[in-house]
Amino acid sequence: MTQRRSYAVGTGLFIVLGFAALAYLATQTTTLVNMDGGATYSVTASFTNVGQLKDRAPVKMAGVRIGSVSSIQLDPKSLNARVTMDINKRFDQIPADSSASVLTSGLLGDQYIGIQPGGSPENLKNGSQIILTQSAIQLEDLIGKFLVNGSPNSKKGK
Amino acid sequence: MVPCAAVHVAMLADPPLVGYRCSPMSETLSRTDPMPADDALVRVRGLTTRLGDRVVFDGLDLEIPRGKVTAIMGPSGTGKTTLLKHITGQMQADAGEVLVDGRDVARLSREGLFTLRERIGYLFQNSALLTDFDVYENVAFPLRQHTRLPEELIRNIVLTKLQAVGLRGAARLMPSELSGGMARRVALARAIVFDPMLILYDEPFVGLDPIALNQVLKLISTLNQTLGITSVLVAHELAAIQRVADRVILIANGKVVASGDPQHIAQDGSPWTRQFFGGEADGPVPFHYPADDYAVDLGLKEPA
Amino acid sequence: MNARVKPRNILVDGLAQIGEAGLFLPTLLAAVPRSLRYFRETVRQIWFVGAMSLIIIMTSGLFVGMVLALQLYHVLAIFGGTASTGTVVALAVYRELGPVVTALLFAGRAGTSITAEIGLMRATDQLSAMEMMAVDPVAYVATPRFLAGVVAMPLLCCVFSAMAILGGHLVGVTWLGIDNGTFWSNMTSNVHVWKDVIDGVVWKSLAFGAVVSLISVHQGYTTPPTSEGVAYATTRTVVASSIAILALDFVLTAFMM
Ligand SMILES: Nc1ncnc2c1ncn2[C@@H]1O[C@H](COP(=O)(O)OP(=O)(O)O)[C@@H](O)[C@H]1O
Ligand SMILES: [Mg+2]
Repeated sequence: MTQRRSYAVGTGLFIVLGFAALAYLATQTTTLVNMDGGATYSVTASFTNVGQLKDRAPVKMAGVRIGSVSSIQLDPKSLNARVTMDINKRFDQIPADSSASVLTSGLLGDQYIGIQPGGSPENLKNGSQIILTQSAIQLEDLIGKFLVNGSPNSKKGK
Repeated sequence: MVPCAAVHVAMLADPPLVGYRCSPMSETLSRTDPMPADDALVRVRGLTTRLGDRVVFDGLDLEIPRGKVTAIMGPSGTGKTTLLKHITGQMQADAGEVLVDGRDVARLSREGLFTLRERIGYLFQNSALLTDFDVYENVAFPLRQHTRLPEELIRNIVLTKLQAVGLRGAARLMPSELSGGMARRVALARAIVFDPMLILYDEPFVGLDPIALNQVLKLISTLNQTLGITSVLVAHELAAIQRVADRVILIANGKVVASGDPQHIAQDGSPWTRQFFGGEADGPVPFHYPADDYAVDLGLKEPA
Repeated sequence: MNARVKPRNILVDGLAQIGEAGLFLPTLLAAVPRSLRYFRETVRQIWFVGAMSLIIIMTSGLFVGMVLALQLYHVLAIFGGTASTGTVVALAVYRELGPVVTALLFAGRAGTSITAEIGLMRATDQLSAMEMMAVDPVAYVATPRFLAGVVAMPLLCCVFSAMAILGGHLVGVTWLGIDNGTFWSNMTSNVHVWKDVIDGVVWKSLAFGAVVSLISVHQGYTTPPTSEGVAYATTRTVVASSIAILALDFVLTAFMM
């Protein structure tokens, strides 16, 4: 029955198309993209305030993603936030004196950690700590300053 | 499952055709059973059926003899189709019993009923061909559902049956491309793929031109005479019935009101047969649908 | 099958039909083992209800994604958040619009044709003929169409959603000039596989597929055997399916939140 077989083939193609679409949605448009394949090494950094930074937030260098935040904990002694990052082994040439900052993508976007390279010949390796850090800029603080200082073209609040 | 237990020659067309006798799922109802003493294939006793408020059958008794063509006649809406549905177990009666080949249809399990139905051909009032399939596949449908015959054998059987109804050339047409008479002949071919013991024809002549009517008529008598298939024929055309039927049963008001030989039943003198075969508008079957007093309805008289 | 009374109130009637369809579900499910014999028929039906709906689903998906991006871009611009356009399009599509719009289109395209087809089989005695040929019409006609709908709906929803993302990208990046990297990276850091894609695109649409196919098959199967009956039945399929989809959507969303 050639007629029947053609239905079977067409139906098969349809099912494959559906699953391909699902695979695309699941792996290319979700956080699965950010699952760093391959080995990583972890680095820590202390911040006085991490703002809205969350676990699994991206770690970027020059805007390129090189790893993700694996944990955020309060250091009981210094009362600073201790952030542990997993960085892909491919990026093992990061100078040890690089600095880390909590940045925001866009005005209201999610927060991530940006690493600015230093100049040391030594590189970061597993267990290293990034000494130079800059905490998150708090939007509330900014607005507070802005309101107190006033601005020539500020309109009245609500 | 052993396909085609016996092969016999059917003198349906010329040259003679080979008709395959194929065993469906079960052998229990095979025609090779020793003939039971009972010479009635279908026996209806005290059948009482209510549909909604209407009493369709009121203690109906009748018998369909083996190997004969029995015509069932009656005014429209007396329940002729309903009777056929009782025989095939598509409907259940409120009281009474229907025995087919000695088995009480109402007590059969689903499997038993299906096994029985494989031995009964049913020609629907409107052919009921499956619109998805062409003529060939329609006739092949019961074979594909109930046997695992090789394609070659299925092809043989289907073409034999189509040849018998004269439509082998139409095998690849779709049901929508058939005329009413052709569709009915295809349905007949489908009804006989398993060489049934009983064929039920529900108004097979309606809407056929005289040529198509004669073709169907010829098929009915050929199937009965050459294969010995018991036939039940529901129809209104006395002239046609007289040419094929061995016996006529007239049903009205839920009972058998007359029965006998088709040549003489019209003259048996009862008011039922006089009205029915004389085609009188009024009689035991009233012209008027039951209604209140006419004068009261028109406001010419006070209600009693 | 008593001849049905002409519906006085289409909404009340729709609700009543949903209830009746629910009562039909056990019959359909009980026939699943028997319908495995007709696996080919199920495959053929997946072709008819699924593959044949692809064109309308793909076009609609593309346009829904495009219009969402266009609208959201301008709303987000007020807050300076146009970078999130891709994220919002994806979330809206995966969680709500994908499953709901696909199901509504499916009811209109495939549901009505299932109802009309089975209804016509009823009206022309084809279902009784199957009974007479010792073929169970529930297992041969109703269940394969039901199963086909359940299988096809999530697949269609995946295709719809993928097309919507494409449409969103087309408008957002190609037309409105959002940076390509920003578009994707924002999306890929906010859309979750389980919570958004699987819960929405897969589970929700699976539930909608079951409901729409159930209603369509039931309507067809209980169609009064007249041409008027078939016409009413297809209308009922659309009304009852739409009510069921939207109400069920609310319930499912409330549970998933
Ligand atoms: N499912 C049903 N429910 C209620 N009444 C029915 C049903 N089927 C048939 N009837 C009624 O039973 C009577 C007999 O119908 P039918 O057997 O089709 O008559 P016939 O074939 O003799 O013209 C009719 O009056 C019909 O209206
Ligand atoms: Mg009738």
